[in-house]
Amino acid sequence: MSSALYNTTDEDVLLRAGIDRSLRHPVMFFLTSGAAWLAVSILLGVIASAKVHWPSLLAGCPFLTYGRVFPAHMNALIYGWGMQAAFAVILWLTARLTRKECTAVGTILTAGHIWNLGVTLGVVGILSGHGTGMPWMEFPVFAWPVLIFSYAAIMVWPFIQFRVRPEGHVYISQWYLLAAVIWFPWVYITANVFLHCLQGSPLMAAGVNAWFRSAMIFLFFTPVALGTAYYLAPKVTGRPVFSYTLAKLGFWTLAVIAPWAGMQKLTGAPIPYFLPYVGGAATAMLFVPAAAAGVNTLRTILSNKETLSSSPALRFTTAGMGSLILLGAAAVFLNLPGSTLPRTQFSLSGYGFDILALYGFFTLTMFGATYFIVPRVTRREWLSRRLIKTHFLFSVYGTIFVALVAIFGGLLQGGSQEDFTKPWATGAAKDAYPYALTITVSWALILFSNIFFFIHLTFMWLRLGRRSSHPTLLVFSHGGSPHGEEGDIDNVGPASAH
Amino acid sequence: MSPNNQKPDLDDSINVAEAHGRVVREAAAAARERRILAAGNEPISVWVLSACGIALVFAGAIIGNAGTFLDYASLYRKNYVRASAPGGGESGPAPKTALEAYKAKGKKIYTAKCNGCHGADAKGDGANYPSLAGSPWVLGDSERFAMIVLNGLQGPASSGKAFGVMPSQAAGLTPEDLAGVLTFVRNDFGNEVGDVITTEMAKAAMDISANRSKAGQPVTGAELEADHLKALPGDPIDPSVMVDPITLAPVEAASP
Repeated sequence: MSSALYNTTDEDVLLRAGIDRSLRHPVMFFLTSGAAWLAVSILLGVIASAKVHWPSLLAGCPFLTYGRVFPAHMNALIYGWGMQAAFAVILWLTARLTRKECTAVGTILTAGHIWNLGVTLGVVGILSGHGTGMPWMEFPVFAWPVLIFSYAAIMVWPFIQFRVRPEGHVYISQWYLLAAVIWFPWVYITANVFLHCLQGSPLMAAGVNAWFRSAMIFLFFTPVALGTAYYLAPKVTGRPVFSYTLAKLGFWTLAVIAPWAGMQKLTGAPIPYFLPYVGGAATAMLFVPAAAAGVNTLRTILSNKETLSSSPALRFTTAGMGSLILLGAAAVFLNLPGSTLPRTQFSLSGYGFDILALYGFFTLTMFGATYFIVPRVTRREWLSRRLIKTHFLFSVYGTIFVALVAIFGGLLQGGSQEDFTKPWATGAAKDAYPYALTITVSWALILFSNIFFFIHLTFMWLRLGRRSSHPTLLVFSHGGSPHGEEGDIDNVGPASAH
Repeated sequence: MSPNNQKPDLDDSINVAEAHGRVVREAAAAARERRILAAGNEPISVWVLSACGIALVFAGAIIGNAGTFLDYASLYRKNYVRASAPGGGESGPAPKTALEAYKAKGKKIYTAKCNGCHGADAKGDGANYPSLAGSPWVLGDSERFAMIVLNGLQGPASSGKAFGVMPSQAAGLTPEDLAGVLTFVRNDFGNEVGDVITTEMAKAAMDISANRSKAGQPVTGAELEADHLKALPGDPIDPSVMVDPITLAPVEAASP
């Protein structure tokens, strides 16, 4: 690469280091408590999935009936882990992209604690039987104002930082992140006001709820993950984004198409007949932004294959972007009226699609960001190469199993449900059995790796990481330090890391 | 380290090499990063474009299923009937319990054949036509009831009162029709026998009727008493079993 491509000065480095330092506690707070919620969510997911094939499991405990555990699993995943990981990444990336230190750490941390309190009360509310029964909005009604106000107190700061940024080019990551920051309140307030405050047709309420779920994926988690990937891919590889035109195309197609998607879940319900078909078509068209962003980031990453194999951040991002392309293909494949769509409405397939989006795409990308950001904000390197490797393998294979098995098993299960002459026990339940069993085992493996991820992260927050100028890379070396060449330990001597 | 250690240790005197060393040590990760000034502009591969094109074609096909968009008549399906299950072929209308299905068939026959004399409430008129509600001949042995319907009745009815002669109702009656109407009358108008006269039993009743010694004449109370005081032969069917409402055949898959 020509040196004209780069411009790194000591002032740049000091600025970056200052920004990272200013955000140490907010970022580590959101990531660590998010990782704890992720482990809780997956534990609940294991129980919920086990009940599909082993209904008598924990049958005596009313707190752990399927109707409570499953919503608690999804809500902990979305609001406990997903949103908090997004907070951490948006805060850090916006500060880096606008080249300004964060000055509202106290407010953000306070609001972050309130957010966690809201999520905790919400999950306890669901488990104690006070859930609302609206998918992804099961928290008791008191929770949503708490969440939206703490969201505002946290996410107004990246917005302000963007307003006071230095003049100049606005990079594509910033577009995505800012869009997500604005779109979430729109989606969340719209859905909650329609469902909790206004008296409308209950059928349309189900439609609003279906739209909300789709919008959470495609108007919040997707732009956050794409903004992250567009930052990490060029940053870690040292190569420019493959095609900046394609990046803009991906952004605008997402912005235009995604708000239409979602109502296909209500196909066949007596709501205005065209709504489900518009939703189905829009979801299928989301293949375009998914392919644009997926191909663009993957081509950028693949331009530097050695870095890909050694960098944990890049490996996770690559897995996330691969899942994104799969997600785009699934969005087409699962929404064909008359063939696959009726089979996905009430079966494991819908769950598989959600997990592919929330875990395969969003969460894996967030893991990539975590492995990149944490050494910078803590100024310590990751402790163990082996833990990262285990985390990577378990997460990627686990996700593939959960999502793809749920999608294909759900198609069979849905087919049996559609055939009303087949009894449930020998039809749908029997068809779902082996797939549900596989999902339980896969979630258990993911849970195992994520508990270690949480512990690893906690050590890093306590600044117990390695004090070294050499990153923890996923390289294999015979003999010597498992972390590769040791580099210079802090306070030992002058560095030579360039 | 640079050799200029002779300088006084003033705050504003920065040793560049030392400062750089400190930066690299304390913010090693940030120092590894490079600021990329260029944006790539590689051509978009034809494979990506054609994959997107295929996705858009599918999206168009999905929209195509929605019919005319804002024509109100197409916003909902009038008289929508659920399509048959995939692979289920001509599975027909939804199954009903045997009692319901037979009664539904019988109700039509009753309206066509019996209504005129016995009335829509089956109470008769007390003078020329007897009541069927609560009649022991309706509620009792099924063969006796079937013989009256098939051959008509002469002389006193169950109450002892002699009404006019009831003509035979056998003309045009299929076994399904007979089974339906018997089941209907025995289980409606306040009658609650609770059993189902199957098509098989109705067929047997027609055979018995044809083999009577006085075939073609209406039966009398004495003949009923002598020859037909029994249940019709044939296997009884559980009234709650699911059957096809058209063919009255049990739906096999529903009883695993």
